[in-house]
Amino acid sequence: MILRQFLSLRKAGVLGMNRRNAEYIMRFNRRSSFPLVDDKLLTKQLSLKFGIPTPPLYHVVSHHGDIAGFERALVDRQEFVLKPARGGGGSGIILITDRRDGKFVTQSGKMISRDEIRYHISDILSGIYSLEGLEDKAVIEGLIHPDQVFGKVTYEGVPDVRIIVYRGIPAMAMVRLPTRQSDGKANLHRGAVGVGIDIGRGKTLDGVRRSGGITHHPDTGELLRDIEVPFWERMLLIAARSTDMTGLGYLGVDLVIDKNDGPLLLELNARPGLQIQIANRKGLLERLEMIDRAPKEIFLSPEKRAAWAIQNFAEPSS
Amino acid sequence: MKRPALWLAVAFFLVAFSLIGYRVYRLGYPLLPTSRAKVWGLTMEIFWEPTGKNGKEIEVRAGLPQSRSGQTVVEQRDLSGSLQFNLLPEGLNQIGVWSGDPEDGGVLSYRATVLLNPKRLAKPKPPGPESFPAIIGDKSEQIVARRLVERWASLEAPEKLKAIAATVKGIWREPPPDDNDLKQWSAIQKKYGAEKALVILLRAADFPVRKVQGFVLVESVATQPDRWIAAWTGQKWEHFQAETGDLYPESVCLLPLMMGDTPLVTVSGGKLQEVRWSLSKQTLSQWRSHFERIQRSTRFLDRWSLFTIPNQFQEIFRILLLVPIGVLMISVLRNIVGFPTFGIFMPVLMALAFRSTGLSYGLGIFAGVVLIGYLLRRGIDRLRLLLVPRLSFLITFVILAFTVFALIGSKFGMREFMAVGLLPFVILSMTIERFFILVEESGASVALRTAAGSAAVAAITYKIIQIDPLQLTFFVYPELLFAIMGLLLLLGNYSGYRLSEILRFKVLGGKS
Repeated sequence: MILRQFLSLRKAGVLGMNRRNAEYIMRFNRRSSFPLVDDKLLTKQLSLKFGIPTPPLYHVVSHHGDIAGFERALVDRQEFVLKPARGGGGSGIILITDRRDGKFVTQSGKMISRDEIRYHISDILSGIYSLEGLEDKAVIEGLIHPDQVFGKVTYEGVPDVRIIVYRGIPAMAMVRLPTRQSDGKANLHRGAVGVGIDIGRGKTLDGVRRSGGITHHPDTGELLRDIEVPFWERMLLIAARSTDMTGLGYLGVDLVIDKNDGPLLLELNARPGLQIQIANRKGLLERLEMIDRAPKEIFLSPEKRAAWAIQNFAEPSS
Repeated sequence: MKRPALWLAVAFFLVAFSLIGYRVYRLGYPLLPTSRAKVWGLTMEIFWEPTGKNGKEIEVRAGLPQSRSGQTVVEQRDLSGSLQFNLLPEGLNQIGVWSGDPEDGGVLSYRATVLLNPKRLAKPKPPGPESFPAIIGDKSEQIVARRLVERWASLEAPEKLKAIAATVKGIWREPPPDDNDLKQWSAIQKKYGAEKALVILLRAADFPVRKVQGFVLVESVATQPDRWIAAWTGQKWEHFQAETGDLYPESVCLLPLMMGDTPLVTVSGGKLQEVRWSLSKQTLSQWRSHFERIQRSTRFLDRWSLFTIPNQFQEIFRILLLVPIGVLMISVLRNIVGFPTFGIFMPVLMALAFRSTGLSYGLGIFAGVVLIGYLLRRGIDRLRLLLVPRLSFLITFVILAFTVFALIGSKFGMREFMAVGLLPFVILSMTIERFFILVEESGASVALRTAAGSAAVAAITYKIIQIDPLQLTFFVYPELLFAIMGLLLLLGNYSGYRLSEILRFKVLGGKS
C-alpha cells in the first residue's frame, strides 16, 4: 500500500526531502559556500561585484552598543526594511512604510515605538532569528515598491519570485503572493499562496495554499492563472548567474520586481523548499534529470543555460 | 546507495554479529532473553531487644549464603540501614556482621538472590580438616561405636553410610550387633541425642562429617533453620536429616547457611527475639544471571563485559546504552516517517526522563510546563528582555515548576511527581521559547502539531527503550552498538520518500 504510494510519487517525479538533502544539496552545495547565502550581507556584496541588482543597503547594526545609533543612520528615511542578516524563512523581518510622531508604521498599519524597534534589533543581534542561533547582524535596507503586475492577487506586502536553479539552469519557478493570513509576508509556511510559473512562457499557472490547490487568490478573489511576469528572461538570467556567483549547484533564488528598479535579487537559499512542486503541479525530479542529460556546451554561459531552460521547460499549451 | 557507506555498514554489522556469535557459540551465552533460570530469594529478618544500658554496642552475627559449586549468590542486600554491615568469611562460613549503636532495638533485614545451576556443578571438593570434628564421648563409648560399625567394614562407602544412617531409626543391617552393644548404644544415644550419636558413629567409621544449618529449598517461611549432616563418601557429600537419619534425595536442593555447631544467628549486647527466614522462588531472566559466569571467567570477552564493572556504574551504562536505541528511533521517525519535532534530540531526553515519571505523568507534566511556560513567555514578551536573561528566566521558571510538582508529589505521595527533576529542564525551556516563536510566526496550529509530533516521538521512543529484554540485550552485547552504527549509516543513505510526503504531495501523486 505504502510502497504503491511511494511508487506513484516516484512516477510523478516528486523530489522528496531525503533525496533533496542527500543527492542534491549535499552533493552540489559545498559547505564552504553556505555562508555566502546564509548571510544576506555577504550575498549583497557578492551581487554588487557581479552587477546583479539588489535593494539598496542603508545601514548595518553589528553590536548592541550601536543600536541607539540606528535612527541617526536612517537620517530622514521614511520607509525601510529591518531584517536579520542570517534569518531563515522570513522570520524577524519588519517592513516600515512611514514614520509618525517618533513612531514607525509597519506595512500592516501597526504603530511600533522606537523602543520596540530597538528591542527587535537586540533580538536580531542575539541571534534569535538566525539559522544556527549564532550572533547576528541587523540589516536595514530600502523598501521595495512592488510592480503592480501581481497587485490584484496580492494582499498587502511584497510578492516574490522563487526560482530553483540546478547546475546553473533554472528548473522550476513560482511566485509567492502574500495573503491576509500570511500577514503580508511571502512565506508559504505562513499561508502565502504559491503560483507556478511556466518557465518557457513566463506566465503563471495554478496556485497552492498550504497543501491544497487553488485557482483564485483567497483574499482578492482574482484568477491566478495566465498573468504575464515582466522581465522574465532577465530574471532567469539573474537566477542562472547566481550559480556562478556562489558555486552552489542547487539553489533557490528569490527575486522581487520593483516598480522603478525592475527585478532585484532579494536572497539566495541553499536549502530551498519542496512546496514549489505543488505550485507547479509537477515533480522536480524529472527536470533535474533532464538537466543532467543536457548537452555539455550549454553549461558554458548563463545566457545559454537560461535559453535552454526556456526551450525545454515550457508547459504544453492547454 | 553510495558504495562506501554500504560497505562500511556491512563491516559494522559483521563486527557486531561476529562478536555476538563468538559469545553465543564459544562462551555459551543465551540468545533468547526469555529463558528463565532457577533462582531463589532468601529474606532474613532478625528481631531483637536491647539489654542493659543505652548506648551499648550491639553486634548481630548470622550465617549467610555464599557462592559455591552449583550455587551462586547473584545479589545480596542489607536493608537495615542504621547498622553497619560487614561480610566476614569464617572457615567454611560466610558470616554477616551487623554492628552499631541503634537508637532503639528492633529489626534488621537482609535479602539475597541465589541462583542454582546444577548443570554447572563443579567436582565437589574433598573435605578439609574442619570436617573431622573433635571426637565426642569417652573411650569406652568410642570402643562401642567402633565395634558397631566394624561389622560393615566390607561394604562400599555409600552403602555403609546408608547402614549407619538407618541406625537412627533403630534399624540394624545384617549381621546384627550383639545385645550388649545395642544396649550400650541406646544409652549413648539417650545421653548425646540422636544427632550427636550419629556423628559419633560416622566418625567411628572414619567418615568426614559436617553439621549443617540451612534450608531445604521450598517456598516457605521459617523461624528455625533445617539441620542436617553431610558426610563425604570419597566422591561426594551425602546429606541426611539429623533427626530421622533419612537421606535427602538428589532432587532436593539445599541451601547451607552455617557449618558446625555455632548457632545460625547470635546477638551480643541484645536479646534475640525471633528470626524469620522466607524463601521464595523467583524468575530471573537468564541473561542477568549470566553475571555469575562472566564475573569469574578468564575469557577475553567475558572479562571485557559490562557485568564486571561495579554495580552503581552498571546502572549508568544501562541507561547510556538506551540512548543509541533512542536516537535510532528518532532517525527513523524523522527521516522515514517524517514527524515534526522541536529540536532533534529533545524527544530522546524526554523518553529517558519518562522512565522515572511514567508515560502519562511525563506527558502531562511536559504539556503542563510548556503551556504555563508559554503563557509566562507571552507575559514577559512586552518586557523586552535580552535573549540570554530571557532564556535563563524560563529555565528558572521550569525549575520552579519542577519544585512545585515535587512538593505536590510528596504531599500526596506520588512518586511520579517527585521524579520530575529528571526531565531535561534546559531542553524544556528551549521548547517553550521555540513554541512561542512558532506560534507567533506560523500560527498555533503549526506549533501544536509540532508539539504533538515531539510528544508522539518521545512516547514511541519511550515504549521502545522500555522493552526490558532489549535493554538487557544491549547490556550483555554492547557490540550491538556497531549494528546501530551500521543501521544509522544505511538510514543516512535513505533518499526515498518520507511517509508524511505521501500526504504532502498527494496532489502530485494522483496524476500520472
